[in-house]
Amino acid sequence: MGLMPVVDSAIDKLATRLGANWENLRAARERALEKRRALQTDLSEFNSADSSIVVFGSLGRDEFTAGSDLDWTLLVDGIADPAHFDVALAIKDRLEKLGHKPPGREAVFGSLAFSHELIHQIGGQDDTNANTTRRILLLLESAVVGRSDAHKHVVSSVLHRYLKEDRGLWHGSGKFKVPRFLLNDIARYWRTMAVDFASKQRARANEGFAMRNIKLRLSRKLIFISGLLACFSCHLGLTAEEKKQIFPAEAVQPLVAHLQRQLELTPLEALAATLLTFKELDSSSAKLFKAYDHFVGILSDDSLLPDGKTRRQHLEDLEVGDLDKDPIFDEARMLSHEFRDAVHEIFLRSNTELSQLTIDYGVF
Amino acid sequence: MRLVGFSTGAVAYSDFQKALELLSSEPVNCVELSALRLHEVDPLLSSVRTLDLRRYKYVSFHAPSKFAAEEEQPLVERLTCLPSEWPIILHPDVIRDFALWRPFGSRLAIENMDRRKPVGRTLEELRPIFDELPNATMCFDIGHARQCDTSMTEAYKLLKHFQNRLRQIHISEVNTSSQHDPISYAAKLAFQEVASLIPPGIPMIIESRVGQSEIGQEILRATAALPEFGPASDLDCRSTGAATLHS
Repeated sequence: MGLMPVVDSAIDKLATRLGANWENLRAARERALEKRRALQTDLSEFNSADSSIVVFGSLGRDEFTAGSDLDWTLLVDGIADPAHFDVALAIKDRLEKLGHKPPGREAVFGSLAFSHELIHQIGGQDDTNANTTRRILLLLESAVVGRSDAHKHVVSSVLHRYLKEDRGLWHGSGKFKVPRFLLNDIARYWRTMAVDFASKQRARANEGFAMRNIKLRLSRKLIFISGLLACFSCHLGLTAEEKKQIFPAEAVQPLVAHLQRQLELTPLEALAATLLTFKELDSSSAKLFKAYDHFVGILSDDSLLPDGKTRRQHLEDLEVGDLDKDPIFDEARMLSHEFRDAVHEIFLRSNTELSQLTIDYGVF
Repeated sequence: MRLVGFSTGAVAYSDFQKALELLSSEPVNCVELSALRLHEVDPLLSSVRTLDLRRYKYVSFHAPSKFAAEEEQPLVERLTCLPSEWPIILHPDVIRDFALWRPFGSRLAIENMDRRKPVGRTLEELRPIFDELPNATMCFDIGHARQCDTSMTEAYKLLKHFQNRLRQIHISEVNTSSQHDPISYAAKLAFQEVASLIPPGIPMIIESRVGQSEIGQEILRATAALPEFGPASDLDCRSTGAATLHS
């Protein structure tokens, strides 16, 4: 996810094949690209070989809308320097002056993150909720503004750990080659998001429930799907010859390189690229992308309701007690059901290698 | 027999004569004559004909890593005086005019860079360099590659993509300040992960800055780090006197 327009977009190809026009997705992608380019200029003085300014969330996924938060972190991968904290504060200050919405209140983003924690603390007592979140989102929905040296190095080092230490991947006798260590961490993160949804509901006395609920059903689920697909790509995305060269030789680096390429795609691009290879799933693909496009359309719609709010603001402010009778929440909820049904058709009931992999690795 | 040796700059800073003297009793059969600083070029060139390099099966020359734009052409002209068998190792970031260097053809070995440099570190950054120098070969600096990416994925990409251009290996630990240190245990483990991609006949030049008493130990570390170069017992050039180079 860089600063250049996506070339040969799989989403565009799938839309062409299906005769669809997902204009909200296209607009959000263009908006994200424009925003990252602007940030590149605005934050250029903070460039360094030892750190990368990494953006997450909708800006990292190419789903940026006018009301989106700006989730960012200064990822440090160099010798310890007290000035790194000053740099992070200066970035925060600059972004606030530029009028960007600050990251969420959990403080997972909006400050420093260190390569050592992300690389060394995978699992165990020291792998905090924030560390897991940063690590998995670094893999699944991050983009760099400015120099990418630190980001690239941390991603490849994290992947190296997941793959090299996965004994079953190299010595297992199963039909599929799927990196379980990585997949289990992605699955753990997905369940953590779901549990944290309940935790936030309690901690915030239901404030913001509606928007978080819809995001969990759609964008958060999409992140998990893209993680599954990255893991499945070690089986689905390699030729028989490539597998023959990689697995018997325990060649970690070519598999890291393969996953790096996969993870450079946004979740939606990765999903579209996979679905392009399953023509028999076209009707479910159409349903899934149509629902997601509509969801992004709700978030990006800047027309005002009679109460002066956008639909996004309406969902953000909606009280839990009003959910059942709210037409906008109902519309979003119905979209999440269409998305869910399409996901189930594709990943659980399609009788393809995709559903076989999901049942074998994504469920048990 | 494997080809292993040192860079003169690693054993004696800015003094190739002293380095050759120190290496004369060591089990090495290759040497890289280093003129990393521009002022080191002329003394080295004027000594080339008188140097006794008969014990070395492979000799290369490391060109300066910094010079002004107006110094590029005079430097290239001076380097044409080097024995024609010697590869010339060059950092890609110093090239301003590719046309000047192109006539060296395969003698020119472009080195992948360390993390400090703005170009020449990765496959993506080296591709356009080799597009400009289609016949150039490559000096693969495994320490630089590891400094840029400790997972050795970038090293893998470079070795896979430029395997047919591979002319020489540089080996050392490159620390966070981009200094060449003795090979650490962690570096050895990393180097071993891609060792199988390096063909056995490729000369290995050690760049670790070591004192005379540490030269033998560093050779052992380097050969253990890249075991594809063959068993240590193969390495004994003290009895070899083959001279392959003389202008």
